[in-house]
Order: sequence, then C-alpha cells, then structure tokens
Amino acid sequence: MRADQPGRAAFYWMALAFAAQLMALGWRGELRGQCPLGDLGEVCLFMAWSLTLFYLVTGTTYRLSFLGVFTAPLVILLQLIALIPGSFEKGVERVDSVDAWREAHTSLSVLSYGALALAAVAGVMFFVLNARLKAHKFGGGLVHGMPSISRLVRAMARIALLGWVILTAGIVAGLLMPEGNFSIHLMVATITWVLYAVLLGIYFVRGLPGRQLAIGLTGLFVLSLLVFLKL
Amino acid sequence: MKLLCLGLNHETAPVEVREKFALSDHALDHETQDLIAAQDVEEGVVLSTCNRTEYYAVVNGGSGVGELEDWICKQRDYHGSREGVFYHYEAREAAEHLCRVVSGMNSMVLGETEIFGQVKKAYKRSLEAGATKAILNKLFQRAFGVGKKVRTHTKIQEGATSVAGASVELAEKVFGRLHGSSVMVIGAGDMSRKTARALQSRGASSVMVTNRSFDKAVDLAEEIGGRAVPFQGWEEELAHLDVVIAATGAPHFVVRPQHIEAVRRKRKFRPLIMVDIAVPRDIDPAVGEIEEVYLYDIDTLQGMADQARKRREEQLLLCEIIIREEIDKVTFPEMDH
Repeated sequence: MRADQPGRAAFYWMALAFAAQLMALGWRGELRGQCPLGDLGEVCLFMAWSLTLFYLVTGTTYRLSFLGVFTAPLVILLQLIALIPGSFEKGVERVDSVDAWREAHTSLSVLSYGALALAAVAGVMFFVLNARLKAHKFGGGLVHGMPSISRLVRAMARIALLGWVILTAGIVAGLLMPEGNFSIHLMVATITWVLYAVLLGIYFVRGLPGRQLAIGLTGLFVLSLLVFLKL
Repeated sequence: MKLLCLGLNHETAPVEVREKFALSDHALDHETQDLIAAQDVEEGVVLSTCNRTEYYAVVNGGSGVGELEDWICKQRDYHGSREGVFYHYEAREAAEHLCRVVSGMNSMVLGETEIFGQVKKAYKRSLEAGATKAILNKLFQRAFGVGKKVRTHTKIQEGATSVAGASVELAEKVFGRLHGSSVMVIGAGDMSRKTARALQSRGASSVMVTNRSFDKAVDLAEEIGGRAVPFQGWEEELAHLDVVIAATGAPHFVVRPQHIEAVRRKRKFRPLIMVDIAVPRDIDPAVGEIEEVYLYDIDTLQGMADQARKRREEQLLLCEIIIREEIDKVTFPEMDH
C-alpha cells in the first residue's frame, strides 16, 4: 500500500489539472466557435489535455498511476510552452461555419498524439526499470513504486494501439476534408501511421523484446513530433 | 495481583531444550487448564511455536517467577540446567514483551508476520477455555492493536530476508502477480524446494522439476505438487516458462545462451527471470545479456536479503517508541508496577 501512495497523490493532482485544462479549452473553443487548435498555445494545451486524459484512463485501468511521475513533467512542459507570451492569439475571430471533417481530423490527430506520447512515457519508464533490474540495482523508491516489467510492456503496446486507432480515424477524417487530400501534413501523418502499424504488427504477431518496443515507441514519437514541428 | 511472563526461545535455549517445552494444540489446552488450576494463578495464556514457549499468568499472593518456573519444569519433566534458559518479565515489562512478540520483533526472522496469528490463536484457545479474565483480555487486545500499528507505521516487515523470498520479490518486479506463471526448478535440493515453495505461495501454478537423478526430481515434484521432467529434455520446456531456478551441484554451466536463443522466437520474446542459487554457478552469465532475460545469482539474492534485514533492524527503535507510547496509554490498575 505504501508504494501506491505517491501514484495516488499524482492521480488526484492530474485530475485537478485535467479540470483546469478543460475549462481553458472550453473558453478558447467558445471564442473561436470551433475546436481550439488555431495557435501554438491551443495545440500545446490540447496536447497536455489529451495526455492527462489518457493518463487518467490508463492509470485506472492498468494501475499505472505511478506513470504520473513521468507524465506530469511532460504536461508541465507543454503548459509552460503555452504560457510563452504570443502563444495564444489575441482577438481571435469567431468563425461563422465549421467543416466537420476538418474539426474531426485536427482534434482526433492531437488526441492520438496524447496516447502515443503516453506510450512513449511508458517506454521511458520501461528503460529506467529495465536498466536498474539488469544492473541489479533495486534500491530507491522509484523502482519500488514502479509497475512490473510485464505490465509496462503490455501498457506500452495497448496505449500505442489505442493511439494508432485514433490516429487512423484522424487520417480518414483528413482524407474526407474538402481540400485536405494529399497535403504534406497528411502525408507525414500517414507515414507515421504506417510506421506505428509496422511496429505494433511486429509486436503483436511475431513478438518483440520490451526494450526494442520501448525504443520504437519513444523514437517514433520523438521523430514524428520533430517532423510536425518543422512543418 | 501480578502479571508475569516466563518463557524460552531460540535465543535462550537450544533446540533439544525447546522441544521439551513445545506443546501440540491438544497438549496446549491441558497445559492452560493445569496452569489456571495451579495455586495462586488467576489467569493464564500459554503460547507454543516452533521457536518459543511462553506462559503469561496473573498470580496473586506471594507467588512469583520462581514458583512459576518450578511449576513449568515439573510439568514438562525437565531436570536439565536452567541457567540462561528462561527469561521472565513482570507487569509493564511483560506487556511490552508481548507487544514485541506480536510485532515480530522477537522472532528468528525479524518482522515475520506468522507470529501474530499464532499468538492470536493461543489467546483465543485460552479465552474459550475460560482461562483469561479482565487483565489478560485487556493486555492481549492491546498487544494485537500495537502489533497492527507497528506493522502499519514502520517498515519492520518490508523486503525479503531470505534467498527464496528475494527470488520471489524479483520475480514479482518482473511479472507483477505470479498467478498462473510457470516455474522450472533445475536441481532437487533443499534450496530448490524452498524457492519453489516460496513461488507457489505467491501464486505460481505450474512447477516443473528436473534433475540428473530423475528419481529425486520425481520425489520433489510429488512433494510440492509439481511435474518431473527428464534432465535430457528440460530445454524443450523453456518456451513456456516464466521463471527458472537453477540449484544443481554441477561443476560447469548447465544453462547456456544458446538454450535461450533457441526458444526466443517461440517465446515471443516474453520476459524470463533466471535465478541461479548454485555455487559453482549453473547459468552462464552471458545469458543475462539477452534482452528479455533477467539473471540473478546467489550473491545478488543474499545481498538483497542482508539489506532487508538491515533495514528491518533500523526500524526497531521506531517500533520500541510505538510500543512504549501505546503501553503508556493503558493503565493496568490490577498490576503491580
């Protein structure tokens, strides 16, 4: 029970953060009259919100509340970026009409990145635990409070699969946008989708050592994020 | 009236003396009845475990520990040396001692939890036999409360203090719950038995035993409810295993990297924990370099057990403080302080 305590505290703090993010997103959405993904601040906030959402859901399901220790810094970083002056556009104009496919594409894509980011975070947790167990270093509260190796591997794969399914829906919505076909943005998203599909396919069909899965998931996430930032 | 505790344990008496005083459940009931029937004894509880026999009694009149000790030795027909064999406590010290016993602070394995249930059982038998009244009822109830508090507020029971326990702890770090996991024991000695039993107690469902002498493998497998596997074919089972315990007397490596490499694909690269408790080692250290294999030898396990023991010892002072605070809250007006 003692080991669960830091995880439980993190869970409540994350729940509080989730509520605050939701209020901020609601306010921006009301201003725009559409999904609030129009500037850097909103994208970061939406990303932090989706990361927190998946943390809360998977935290309960897979008892990975200790994941908060690793997720929280990422959420804080995203929110700090959102707080940089100029990140949020001032005086945004409320749109008259919205394209449902565009809204679905952007929100689902960002949401999927939340899940994929969480899978990458679970991958980092795996690296830490794996390195310590391999080196026979068992001291410290970090190892004591972490989920088991098997649970982390399962969590990585399942969260990534969830993210991939949502990304699939986001890409399909993107293809159905009136002007969206074959934009560079969509092409990169599709390449990312294919790479995740290959990695997860190998894991579920052939099997993959946990470390390689963790390398794949963290590497793919960082790579795709860098590409999207360049775009 | 006076509260007394008189006993002997693994620290004061060798096994040949302890076994003279050990009591079966049936004998325990008779002993309790005889105790309260003795002169000047108002209440009594007799506790007997493999490592200790203790008598808690409330006496009146001029009776003291000397009389109680004579009575016990006569009961057990003991004529050997008594020097240093018995320890005794009176009043508050007796209450504090009981709290230490219940909390596992006085046990051979510091912080073990089994003693709590054993004391509870002994008290219940005395209670049902009508051998306890106000003072011992109050004392034992308080001791159980203190025992729970000590375990909740300190780390006296944390960490495995044996090689077998450390193996289980590591397996749980890799697999989480061990329910449904498959274990193979290579070698049929005492360490194999202990480790296999420890894993079974935490949920390992399938245990296979292999040994050069197949008869010994069969004997151990029957004893622990497992399955014996011929030594010539143990590698074939690797594909389905989660934990391998190696404890043979072989002078060379029994498990080599090629054994694992051959089944990695078939295992779908699932984690595999390998515990080598043999000297000389049974598992080639190169096996630990395979990504999904977690290999631990006897030094690592012994180190874990030693550290856990040290951590438990560091908790003793905190436990003593809790016991004193809790005993301070209780007044035993019937007791001579």
